[in-house]
Amino acid sequence: MQSKPLGKMDPEARKKLIARLEKAALKIRKNLLTLCSQQVIHIGGDLSVADVMTVLWQYQIKYDPQNPKDETRDRFILSKGHAAAVTSFNQAAIGCYRDEDIFKEYAGDNGRFAMHSCNLINPHVEVSTGSLGHGLPVAAGVAQGLKLKGNTTSRVYVVMGDGEQSEGSMWEAILNSVHYKLGNLVGIVYCNKLGFDGTLQQITALGDIADKYRVFGWNVVEVDGHDIAAMVEAFDHLPPADFDKPTVLICHTVKGHGVDFMENQVKWHAGRLSPENRDEAIRQLEAAYQEKWGEA
Amino acid sequence: MGITQSFGDMVAVRDVAGKYISKLGEKNDKVVVVNADLSGTSRNKGFVEEFPDRSFNVGIAEQNLVSFSAGLAHEGFMPYAFTMAPFISMRACEQCRTDVAYGHLNVRLIGNYAGYSSGVSGATHCALEDCAIMGSMARMTVLEPGDPYQICKMLEATLTWDGPVYIRSGIEAIKPIYPEEYDYQIGKAIIAREGSDGAFICSGIVVQFALEAAERLEKETGAKIRVIDMHTIKPIDEMAVIEAAKTGRVIAAQDHNIIGGLGYYAAAVIAKSGLATQFKILGCPDHFVPIATAPYLFKVNEYDTDGLVKNMKEMLKK
Repeated sequence: MQSKPLGKMDPEARKKLIARLEKAALKIRKNLLTLCSQQVIHIGGDLSVADVMTVLWQYQIKYDPQNPKDETRDRFILSKGHAAAVTSFNQAAIGCYRDEDIFKEYAGDNGRFAMHSCNLINPHVEVSTGSLGHGLPVAAGVAQGLKLKGNTTSRVYVVMGDGEQSEGSMWEAILNSVHYKLGNLVGIVYCNKLGFDGTLQQITALGDIADKYRVFGWNVVEVDGHDIAAMVEAFDHLPPADFDKPTVLICHTVKGHGVDFMENQVKWHAGRLSPENRDEAIRQLEAAYQEKWGEA
Repeated sequence: MGITQSFGDMVAVRDVAGKYISKLGEKNDKVVVVNADLSGTSRNKGFVEEFPDRSFNVGIAEQNLVSFSAGLAHEGFMPYAFTMAPFISMRACEQCRTDVAYGHLNVRLIGNYAGYSSGVSGATHCALEDCAIMGSMARMTVLEPGDPYQICKMLEATLTWDGPVYIRSGIEAIKPIYPEEYDYQIGKAIIAREGSDGAFICSGIVVQFALEAAERLEKETGAKIRVIDMHTIKPIDEMAVIEAAKTGRVIAAQDHNIIGGLGYYAAAVIAKSGLATQFKILGCPDHFVPIATAPYLFKVNEYDTDGLVKNMKEMLKK
């Protein structure tokens, strides 16, 4: 079981932690771009949630890859099912599988990895998802189930997209989670402000999503979804799992983050990279990392 | 079965089910009840009062009813999700399929107001499609009790049944037809009346119509017609259908759209068997009825007692 350091971290240790996570996020992105040169993946969304997912999986979550059914684990549900690749690579980073397994099996016959994850063939997938608007409602039931069992320490993390907030079923659960005081439920909405048909502003404007959750009674935290230190901070300050309100982290992100020809480009919602584009994208990411942290 | 009954009294399945769910709650502490603002309609307020910690009401939100239940099942609970059959099978169709069936979860979806039973409420409140919809979901078991007290045996069986179950029932008070204790198994049809000159394959309220029809047919023509209570629509008892086909005259009748209902499930078995038999499906025709009472609709569509007698007599002529 990976565990977080308890109590206040000294500044030096904290700096090291952030450096480790930055490096981990770079590796996740490189893996995604490599996979994207083999297969069509939802690269735009994957890159926009890469930092969030890295902090969640490689710092925050309580999960033992050797014991995926441990009762005391945190539950993870990917409501935005097509962010499967970025989840799988993060799970690989903590030992659920090897990166090579993903490259080899992704979208293959009887492979464990694909555009959407399935718990029938992959024990590290809590709930099979893909169709949008399902993860949060199921997560609410899981959170209630944990409470009913007297588990007051596990949390249920559910990662959602901002486009997905248009699904009516989400709002049924947003309402219900407050009614049942699901303090163990932590929603993470990563807002890249783009759908498949254009900007959300053009499609059906979402307005201020943080305000909407707040009005429904959630504990709302807004954070820059590419600021790893800020996200560590936000996770560190989550209320305890037996709190009386669900929490949502609204993470502001950029679709295609880190690659200039992909950033904020609707056409890179999903796609496949040529080897040249892949190499160029990786070069850009490494250059940006080196500028900030030195040698990659 | 633990429900006070005086045999012969007409009673609705939902009344019996609503009470019996409390028994299940006593027997198994993993049993939880989830409602969507229709606990009164589903008659399970007894459970809600007795087990407040294991009762949830998500409001008028059928999608969440099913997804929330799926979440509870992921944590090892056995949720019984109650609402009207049209809403659970259609409004929450994808949740039933993706959140429950895909995960092969032990969620029990209980839909009342099946068929034309809510006729006067109009087509919005009738489920004429639910067997077709639910049955096409992989490994979803589909049940419909033919006797009001059979629901107790059904619910009891769901405690140990692996995988998702959908139970449909009409809201009419129906006559108990099994006076004595009997074995009940999901997937094993019950021969409610013996006979070898023809067979009715039916479920729900139609079972009692078929029993009355078989009795009348014997009096009027001497023909002995078998009545098969096909309480498990899926997986259908193929042997019972094949044995029925061997009589040479089969009428499959259900309060459901003819398309995709019990008759279609039976027809597939007969076609596969290669047996030659007269065969007719009775049920709701392929159009909506705005408003009418259930008995009237059963009559015009000929799956009430008179209609079953008439149709079997026609077969007996051949």
